[in-house]
Amino acid sequence: MIGLENAQRDSFVLLQLAGKKLALPAKIVAELAPPVRLHSFPHTSALLAGVIVRRGRILPVYDVGKALSGKSALAHRFYLVARREFDNAAEMSAIPVDGECELVTGQMGARPGDAAPYICGEIVAGSEAVGVLDLEALIQMHSKGATSHATEARV
Amino acid sequence: MKIAAQEAPRPKRARASEPAIVFTVSRQLFAIAADAVQEIRSTDSIAGAASEFESADVPKVRHTIERVHRQYYVVNACTHFRLRVTRPTLVLILRQLRVAVLVDRIERMTELPAVYDLPLAFSGDERHWYRGLTYLNDHVIPVVDPRGFLTPEDFRRLEGVPTVVANAHEWEGAASQ
Repeated sequence: MIGLENAQRDSFVLLQLAGKKLALPAKIVAELAPPVRLHSFPHTSALLAGVIVRRGRILPVYDVGKALSGKSALAHRFYLVARREFDNAAEMSAIPVDGECELVTGQMGARPGDAAPYICGEIVAGSEAVGVLDLEALIQMHSKGATSHATEARV
Repeated sequence: MKIAAQEAPRPKRARASEPAIVFTVSRQLFAIAADAVQEIRSTDSIAGAASEFESADVPKVRHTIERVHRQYYVVNACTHFRLRVTRPTLVLILRQLRVAVLVDRIERMTELPAVYDLPLAFSGDERHWYRGLTYLNDHVIPVVDPRGFLTPEDFRRLEGVPTVVANAHEWEGAASQ
């Protein structure tokens, strides 16, 4: 019975992205990283703002705020480091956040019918319902029509 | 708020350091293996050897130059990397490829301590542009793949295009095109 409860109640990280409160499954979140330098160079991949160096690794940075609201969230200098799965490998990626993150436990409910395509479900945090972000879906939605990006790390 | 101290990435496996040329294109830093470059010339010094070239299929090539009886296609790196077009002052003539690359300037010659794989998240043309990333003086810099400037398909398209001799004035104005 205890095992069943644990299976149904998962941990989520609550965060503010583009003015929206969203949740990410804690199982894909590695850490909240402190401000570090964002390095940018030309590329054509959607949503990628550049890379940071964290714990000896070069991590790609997704400007998720831009995808959600059209406004860049790069001014937020903390980074939530989360895992992305690729066909044959996993890779840590960073998302700029304002630093206010909260760990909550809850049971993910069904996705509301009117939710955005990148919302995969809903949890109740306190008195409010919070959408659970499907990072993969959000990235896939924006994976076409990208243009070259190079905004930082200039000479 | 302070920026956290920058740490160098740790290579997954030790590799010998590699001599490289760090150059700029439209204010962006890039590195290229030194042994991939045969010669570095100023655009002025080879203006007389340049021929104008028109290819709608490969717009980043606007000139060819003749070196040691070989025709080199001149790639404008600004166009290649989709950066704001600036006025290049140097041409990197590549080794083993009939490619010359217009760049803004050489920053320095250096040893690359390591070349890291490009993260999988980068899935676009950059996977052809770069061999990987390097970390130099607190900068993460892409290490270009010389083969990425012109693909075999680009060469096939270019081979079918006639050239006309350009005068020096046109060559010197290549940057603004």
